[in-house]
Amino acid sequence: MSTSFEKYQKRRLISSYFSVVISISLVLFLLGMLGLLVLNTKKVADHFKEQIALSIYLKETAKEVEITQLQKSLSLADYTKSAVYVPKEEAAEKLSVEIGEDFIDYLGDNPLQNSIDVFLNADFVTPELMEEITNELLAKGFVDEVIYDKPLIALLNDNIKRISFWVLIISGVFTFIAVLLINSSIRLSVYSKRFTIKTMQMVGATKSFIRKPFIWKSIKLGVVGIFVAWIGMGVVIYSLNKTFPELLLIEQPLILGAMFLSIFVLGVFISWLSTFFATQRFLNLRTDELYY
Amino acid sequence: MSKPVLFLKNASIFQRESLILSEVNVSINKGEFVYLIGKTGTGKSSFMKTLYGDLPLQEGDGEIVDFDLRTLKEKDIPFLRRKLGVVFQDFKLLNDRTVNDNLLFVLKATGWKDKKSMETKIDEVLGKVGMKTKGFKYPYQLSGGEQQRVAIARALLNDPELILADEPTGNLDPQTSVEVMEVLQDINKNGNTILMATHDYALLLKYPSKTLKCDENQIFEVVQKTV
Repeated sequence: MSTSFEKYQKRRLISSYFSVVISISLVLFLLGMLGLLVLNTKKVADHFKEQIALSIYLKETAKEVEITQLQKSLSLADYTKSAVYVPKEEAAEKLSVEIGEDFIDYLGDNPLQNSIDVFLNADFVTPELMEEITNELLAKGFVDEVIYDKPLIALLNDNIKRISFWVLIISGVFTFIAVLLINSSIRLSVYSKRFTIKTMQMVGATKSFIRKPFIWKSIKLGVVGIFVAWIGMGVVIYSLNKTFPELLLIEQPLILGAMFLSIFVLGVFISWLSTFFATQRFLNLRTDELYY
Repeated sequence: MSKPVLFLKNASIFQRESLILSEVNVSINKGEFVYLIGKTGTGKSSFMKTLYGDLPLQEGDGEIVDFDLRTLKEKDIPFLRRKLGVVFQDFKLLNDRTVNDNLLFVLKATGWKDKKSMETKIDEVLGKVGMKTKGFKYPYQLSGGEQQRVAIARALLNDPELILADEPTGNLDPQTSVEVMEVLQDINKNGNTILMATHDYALLLKYPSKTLKCDENQIFEVVQKTV
């Protein structure tokens, strides 16, 4: 027997749950996106850091064996991402293209040196470590000089530090807002049942018995919210990956999985905690105080 | 004579800091039907609330269905209420579920497990109040008198030693009041003790019984004629 009246009642209930689900999913979605940002600031920063080359200029006297040996030891070193040997002819060609005229022609000689361009792993791109690597290389007799853009590295490190700091602060603020928002929408839905809660107490139900179905309901709504958030995150990650494949967003299933899982855990935890406190609040009130 | 179901000695009842009733000495024995009368604001409801643990007893001694009201702990309140049946003026049914589910909730909340015996019990109490055929309805589909019968049925579920009825007829028309009163009288005849707060003097005249009166911060027994 489902009359149109009952259907209407049910629809009204569903729409009030709807707002809880929406607020949970929006907030979790936002948190997920922030998580993605935090996880990827490092990756973006590393991406920039690994563009920086350390050029080792070799003396004319350097022997072939020494060069290949250096190349080998460089490619084995843990700070190297890649090392490319650039013979001076190739360097000259590149430079000619860059300045737009064939300078060897009027100089009559190639003044450039043979060099090895080393691209470092991001973790080693700090002023201190690069200094160390430079000194180590200079100790070899056939190395003339080691050149890299010092101010750029200092600037890069400073900026990355500053940006990560603010990303963290903003994430913290958003997490706080998230908890607050979910909490208040759950509180509201529990508040609407405060007289029901009181009645249940009047007939001899214990607090935990009354609380249980409320918590279940919230967790169920929370899980629906989590799924909605997941779908949103999935869509964003998919389209970001299409636009910026160099971020390798999808290449790290473990990190992504951990992020989705932590969104789930967070969603369930917040729903549980908010419902617990919201019901507890009304369970502890005396009947008269419900009207205040 | 056996121990009274309810007794209060030199009890004072406060709503927060303000004194509502003082030097309350009341004793109710098993099987009695007792009225509690008095104008609004004389403390009838506060008195009732103290009895079912919604207001703490701060002064004097009190014992109800073997619970000491002075030392009553928060966590014992649910268990006190299981030995009482409380009927309210505004019925206080759970509006989000059917009559059967209302009763089922109480049974589950008070520790019943067996489905069969729960169904039998629900049938039994609904039969007592003449509502056997209305179990599938929602409270808002019932009239006030029917809702109050359901509320009484709910109060009967755990075979309470004492039924507290706080103006059970307050929201009902005179004829329905009489019907609800008949139900309460029947229950009383079956051996249940009932304390009923009311200001419906017509009922008192029709069903005379022991009567307590609240007036000027006191509760005292009155003889029917002087009402």
